[in-house]
Amino acid sequence: MNHIKSDVPELIQQQGGLKPDVSKQVSRHTGVAEADVYGVGSFFHLLSRSDKKLRVCTGLSCQMAGADKVLQAALDAGLPVEPCSCLAACDQPTAVLRDREVIPGVQVEEIKQTGGDWTKLKQEMSPGGKGWLGHIGPSVENDGDLAINLAGAPDWSGTALRMALTRSANHIIAIIKSSELQGRGGAGFPAHIKWQAVQSQSEPERYVVLNADEGEPGTFKDRELLMRRPDRIVEGLAIAAHAVGAKDVFLYLRGEFAYPKKSIELAIQQFRQRGLLADLRFHSHSGQGAYICGEETALLEALEGKRGMPRLKPPFPVEVGLWGKPTLIHNVETIACVPEIIKRGGDWFKNLGRTAAGTKLYCISGHVQKPGTYELPLGITLDELVESAGGYIGKLKAFCPGGASSGFLPADKRNIALDFQALAAVGSMLGSAGVIVLNDTVDMKWAVGQQLRFFEDESCGQCAPCRIGTRYLREAVNAELNGSATMHSPNLKFAEDVAWQMNEASICGLGQTASLALTSAMTYFPEDFQ
Amino acid sequence: MKLARNQLTLNGKTVSFTDGETILTLANRMGVHIPTLCHDPRLDPVGACRMCLVEVTGFNRLVPACTQKATPGMEVITENARITRHRQTLLALYMTDHPQDRNAVEKGAPNQLLDLAEQYQAPLNWGRMLPIRSARDDDRNPYILFNADLCISCARCVRYCAEVERVSAITLANRGASTTVATADNASLLDTSCEMCGGCIDVCPTGAMTEKMPLTRNHKPERELRKVRTTCNYCGVGCQIDLNVDDIANDGRGMVVKITSPPPGTTVNDGNLCVKGRFAYDFIHHPDRLTQPLVCNENGELQPTTWDDALEKAVNGLQAVAKRYGADALGFVSSSRCTVEENYLMQKLARAVFHTNNVHQCAAT
Ligand SMILES: Cc1cc2nc3c(=O)[nH]c(=O)nc-3n(C[C@H](O)[C@H](O)[C@H](O)COP(=O)(O)O)c2cc1C
Ligand code: SF4
Ligand code: SF4
Ligand code: SF4
Ligand code: FES
Repeated sequence: MNHIKSDVPELIQQQGGLKPDVSKQVSRHTGVAEADVYGVGSFFHLLSRSDKKLRVCTGLSCQMAGADKVLQAALDAGLPVEPCSCLAACDQPTAVLRDREVIPGVQVEEIKQTGGDWTKLKQEMSPGGKGWLGHIGPSVENDGDLAINLAGAPDWSGTALRMALTRSANHIIAIIKSSELQGRGGAGFPAHIKWQAVQSQSEPERYVVLNADEGEPGTFKDRELLMRRPDRIVEGLAIAAHAVGAKDVFLYLRGEFAYPKKSIELAIQQFRQRGLLADLRFHSHSGQGAYICGEETALLEALEGKRGMPRLKPPFPVEVGLWGKPTLIHNVETIACVPEIIKRGGDWFKNLGRTAAGTKLYCISGHVQKPGTYELPLGITLDELVESAGGYIGKLKAFCPGGASSGFLPADKRNIALDFQALAAVGSMLGSAGVIVLNDTVDMKWAVGQQLRFFEDESCGQCAPCRIGTRYLREAVNAELNGSATMHSPNLKFAEDVAWQMNEASICGLGQTASLALTSAMTYFPEDFQ
Repeated sequence: MKLARNQLTLNGKTVSFTDGETILTLANRMGVHIPTLCHDPRLDPVGACRMCLVEVTGFNRLVPACTQKATPGMEVITENARITRHRQTLLALYMTDHPQDRNAVEKGAPNQLLDLAEQYQAPLNWGRMLPIRSARDDDRNPYILFNADLCISCARCVRYCAEVERVSAITLANRGASTTVATADNASLLDTSCEMCGGCIDVCPTGAMTEKMPLTRNHKPERELRKVRTTCNYCGVGCQIDLNVDDIANDGRGMVVKITSPPPGTTVNDGNLCVKGRFAYDFIHHPDRLTQPLVCNENGELQPTTWDDALEKAVNGLQAVAKRYGADALGFVSSSRCTVEENYLMQKLARAVFHTNNVHQCAAT
């Protein structure tokens, strides 16, 4: 690589976070201006608030399970604690982050037992981290009709990679095209178009980036994949790198994914020991606590050591990506589909789906019996998904089909195919397929407040519609909830205009979708907003 | 209608653009107004404030005119119902996070956000949110004040400091609604790489980054001052500066109460100044300042006199030395605070009039 890698976030982390003088030291080490180092450190919550040793998830699913009480107990116990955004453990509420380890399923009692010593929380959790594995379905190995097969044993044979290495880039891309694989990170964009675009750039230096920043509330499938089938991911990355002509692969995992990171690093070693990765270089990076870095261009900025503020598009990363080079960025699950597609052919994959190609990892949490990750044909309905997850708890009121960004749908939309197209047609989206189920005990205004607080906390702050709009809407909903609305405070009367402005004028998907939780709930559940 | 390679339509009119030109520069050149907040011609455009969004056929989303390059055949629309709604709702949103009382807001520089809100009749009844951006109120530097409540996070100051002044003393810090402008560890600017050029003040659209002295001295807001263009006399570069004059102050004799730089693109210094040119103006009305020529009397004491007398004494003295000891007994030293033209005249005086090459200027070593 012909550039100097900027390690600013990692170096701040090594210094124990953004404490006084750390900017100076990191600046001396890297040549990056002190102020710029400070700007980076203050952007990322895991760096800027390093004194908070415990963080309690306040994602919607954890909140519905009583995260508030866990947080309060921690505060009462005098622990160095603060609330945080979704920890990708929505299937095992309440999730707590201790340093950088996620501890799922924490109960109020366990907090009390720490007696104020944060290191004492569930000591048996570390190391290992197996406790974080959730329910999966199908739960037994099944080789016939699954692209991912979470229950399957890791396969280090590299069969798909070996096949790919004997094929031309064009041939591989043709297979991906015939599979109709759509990106699983949120947008559902056809994968082959990106592969083709990177492959055909005149610039010889190209990169492949794995987006493992999984932070969309309700989403935890990438965690499960990284823990259970890292073989699929590494093999998929190697195939993609071969197809687009890249020699460097960057892994960007959210900072809270300490165990998943270990898992994929071990998988890389496994393949390397078998001589399968040749001269491919892997570079793994940890996020530092910022959901926005899952947005692909913000991710690139963070990889370059900067504040994670999304870039304007176009140009797209396939043309101008990491350090300005053509870059193929994919979600973990998208990449993990690749080996089986290569092995079994595009048609095989395509036919796995019902309304669109492939099987899909659906995450389901909230009011269902067995929250977890279920691999099912793309396009199943909510009821079918919930049946896999053991059935509803209580009476279905609303659901988020694809994380907080997809807004809320009412129970009568339960028969919609959970795919990219059908959900878009009703003004929602499949997004990351983080399905959250809400029963009739939930006040939608309260639920909306949870989602809006998430977006407000995670807005990068670069553009006004999102920076101000997310806060405005959250304050307006809060004012309604506490009955404190006045003429001079943000008011839901203006929500439609605010939402319009955010959708039209925000730079990235965060701001463009953040209002949907509110506007959809106001449309479908007007009675909760009276 | 067939368009040439370098043509597009702007609000239906065919216009020609130059290579690499953005929609914004093209529109400005054509006299079509597009509002901006984060744009400054000296800086790389970032498209962050969202004020300049326009419609371009073929793009679903509104497009930032400041970053979007003109391309052949493009159809650009800068005024329609959607754009009006955009401008009004964006400004309304900005104003929920910004003080609205002009008198309170414009103690120093004019506030372009208030101007735009007025111009586009943005609704101001959406309610207000408490300011949450952190400032550095204890910064002991004598010149620059950051009023975070007025900051709209456009990052012009930060980008100016990095791209023009090239010292990166300040940064955007924190994120989301808490985004603010900070130094490393919130140190005083005096303890950073800051060169006190004051460019951050010049580029700030709202007066959030502002000059301390006129405020602490309770001078009139900039809007009420008269600007007098002149050349900075601190060095030979010839930067143009605007004296901001309060005509009534100083018992009606008028007073320079601050200095601002002319708009970028209009003068040789492109709106940039250094610490001296921008802030060191107190000498103008200083009581110690020489305001008339002085000549020594027989007792060696300096006495005020006329210019004619002073010049005559100087000429006589120089000629006497040259006559008695030869021209090379004379030496001429001029000042780096003189302009290039003045320095040129000084060496002309030495060489052509007194026939010596003994001429020097204090910055010429
Ligand atoms: C606010 C925001 C957050 C995102 N977070 C993620 C994420 O955590 N993981 C991910 O794979 N994609 C995320 N995306 C989508 C990425 O920008 C990008 O589309 C995706 O990584 C492309 O990979 P794919 O084609 O495999 O889906 C996010 C997008 C937005 C706007
Ligand atoms: S929409 Fe929000 S997250 Fe995206 S760039 Fe704008 S402020 Fe940042
Ligand atoms: S005065 Fe000049 S050097 Fe100092 S912060 Fe402002 S722009 Fe940067
Ligand atoms: S201080 Fe002024 S120039 Fe700097 S970000 Fe704030 S509003 Fe923009
Ligand atoms: S981990 Fe708590 S909502 Fe996701």
